[in-house]
Amino acid sequence: MLLYFVGQVLPYIAGAIFLIGVIYRVAGWLKVPVPFQLTLFPAPTSGAGRIAAVGTEVLLFKSLYNNDKNLWLWAWLLHVSLAMVILGHIVGIYFLMNQFTLIGLSASASQTVSAFLGTVFGLTLLISLIVLFYRRLVNPEVKQLSDPADYIDLLFILVIAITGNHMRLPGVEVDLPAVKAYLGSLLAFGPAPIPDSGVFIAHFVTVMLFMIYFPFSKMLHFAGFLVNRAMLVEAAPVYPTPAGTPLRSSFAGARAPVADSGQAKGVQA
Amino acid sequence: MKIPLHMAKEKDLQAAGLRAVPEEEKQQALVKGIDQYRQWARSLMVMLETCTKCGACANACHSYLGTGDFNNIPAARADLFRKLYKRYFTWTGKTIGRYIGAEDYDAETLAKWVTYFYQCNECRRCAVYCPFGIDTAEITIAARSIMTALGVVPRFMTGVAANMIKTGNNMGIPKPATIDCCEFMEDEMKEETGLDIKIPVDKPDSDILYIPSSADFFSNVDTMIGVAKFFHAIGANWTIPSTVLEAANFGLLFSMDAMKEQNQRMREAAKMVGAKLVVQGECGHGWRAAKMYTEGANGPAPFGLVHILDYAYQNMDKLKFEKLPWRVTLHDPCNYARAGDIIEQPRELLKACVSEFVEMTPNRERNFCCGGGSGILMDEMMDIRMQLGKKKAEQVKELLPLDFFATPCSICKAQLPHVMKFYGMEDLKMGGVMDVVGKAIVLA
Ligand code: SF4
Ligand code: SF4
Repeated sequence: MLLYFVGQVLPYIAGAIFLIGVIYRVAGWLKVPVPFQLTLFPAPTSGAGRIAAVGTEVLLFKSLYNNDKNLWLWAWLLHVSLAMVILGHIVGIYFLMNQFTLIGLSASASQTVSAFLGTVFGLTLLISLIVLFYRRLVNPEVKQLSDPADYIDLLFILVIAITGNHMRLPGVEVDLPAVKAYLGSLLAFGPAPIPDSGVFIAHFVTVMLFMIYFPFSKMLHFAGFLVNRAMLVEAAPVYPTPAGTPLRSSFAGARAPVADSGQAKGVQA
Repeated sequence: MKIPLHMAKEKDLQAAGLRAVPEEEKQQALVKGIDQYRQWARSLMVMLETCTKCGACANACHSYLGTGDFNNIPAARADLFRKLYKRYFTWTGKTIGRYIGAEDYDAETLAKWVTYFYQCNECRRCAVYCPFGIDTAEITIAARSIMTALGVVPRFMTGVAANMIKTGNNMGIPKPATIDCCEFMEDEMKEETGLDIKIPVDKPDSDILYIPSSADFFSNVDTMIGVAKFFHAIGANWTIPSTVLEAANFGLLFSMDAMKEQNQRMREAAKMVGAKLVVQGECGHGWRAAKMYTEGANGPAPFGLVHILDYAYQNMDKLKFEKLPWRVTLHDPCNYARAGDIIEQPRELLKACVSEFVEMTPNRERNFCCGGGSGILMDEMMDIRMQLGKKKAEQVKELLPLDFFATPCSICKAQLPHVMKFYGMEDLKMGGVMDVVGKAIVLA
């Protein structure tokens, strides 16, 4: 009964909350106008330049690199290893670790490389999480800034990383084809029973709980990052204003408060 | 807690067209103000909801570096706002508030807000260093504007606001005084150059409307003289407006409604003289307000808009200079470099005008604020202002000896002499970039 709930109901609840939650919050931001350009100079002036500027931030954390190399190293390693781990899950499970045969390796060599990379990135993730948790505890400024949620967020991912790495320990056997078949059935909306493996179930359930937690937490910083950066690289206004430029917000259209009364009306305009 | 500012009283508020919300209604009004603002500007919500408390901004902020006060860390400053925002506008904040750092409104809330949002210079340096580009200046602008609508505003700001309403400029200079002052400057220039260089006021059919900083009519006369010589040299058909003798727009610093209104004055002045081009004088936030806010505040503008340093730079091939034998450095006003795209122009002008130009470190968009930014020029804040200026003083000290320190912004010009004196550099000569242009320019 419990296994039925965990294996065949919870994934859909978690998926729905995750997707709807993220979309709801991001849409909540996007429906609010940007009444003024917030261009941060020197700013790129072409579309390609804007993509390059945001791209280097996404891929390399450029601002952070220029600011704090130590924090940059661990934050960057955390995110890169996380991205690799997620990618590895998709590719590795789909191809049953034979993905590197596509570039000419033998099946057994592919499985060795796959296992090796999985272990390296899994451990990098684990270590960078621990370092960042430690940093939060010992850096006096960061410690004072932190809310309980900031620690819990790290611990949450740490638990996922630990249960995930657990499956790689020597002697722990997880039936990969069974996992693949199970995940496939979930995606096809015909859920099969969850593979009966304690370590797998532990990992799977923490991921589901995390997906439920995600939209309510600051994990949404990934989306805030993009929305924010998009505002900072927006083209600056040009004058005279080109014909046909739409009003940025109703504030621009509203009549200015009467010039000599100066009555503050609040910003609702 | 003790607020380090003199706050506006009922009569100060009235003179500025504002009113105080009664004490018992303040909480409700504050929450309502936040609600309106968050539905008005996307930046507020996104920036409040994106911070990961990584602390990378702490050492980017001269305000924190100078005062050592935890609440001056950009993220901590924003948190004063964020705690309330979470408590009243997020589902988690309403239910498990303590866990995510939400906090109820209490008797200290507004005191803390006014104290720390008036120790943020709105310099945007944190936005350059935060991995997410979170711009705490945006939170400060929002907080100040919301507080002003409650009648919680420093007397310094309402004083400026009252002058803006009365005369269109911060200093309260009426038209006859403007004309007197222009005649005085014209005489000075005649004596110096033997030429009839005019500073036309409200001249109809002018191509260019030049908007000076009102301080250029008191303490920074050399800036205005440099500008007049420049316009003379390029044979411009220009005028200054008596109705808005002010490049500054303090509205941006305490009330978005006042910002909109002052912006409207600029547009009307341009229309009155038929100007096709508005040239803004040496004022940092005023340039940001003009360049970045004109379209958003009052819709499409029919005129061109350029900064005097950019305009002088564009016209350099028409100018002749005799280099001054000076060693000079440049302070990048925050609102030029980070918020207004005026970065290389002042450098090129200075290099053409003086024998030795040296950079301070860091510079350009990484430069530290003078500590007076966003109108923190109150006398009662002098001690704190000196702490806010500490980083700047350290930067300058490394470059001594200097013959001149170029600080092309009226707020910097008002703040930095105090800072230099405080940190033992009272002999340093300071002024705008146009001052230097005016001294080096060779007129036919
Ligand atoms: S650097 Fe940005 S994300 Fe980090 S604490 Fe400061 S404001 Fe928050
Ligand atoms: S805008 Fe400037 S003064 Fe304000 S928090 Fe950011 S760095 Fe500090």
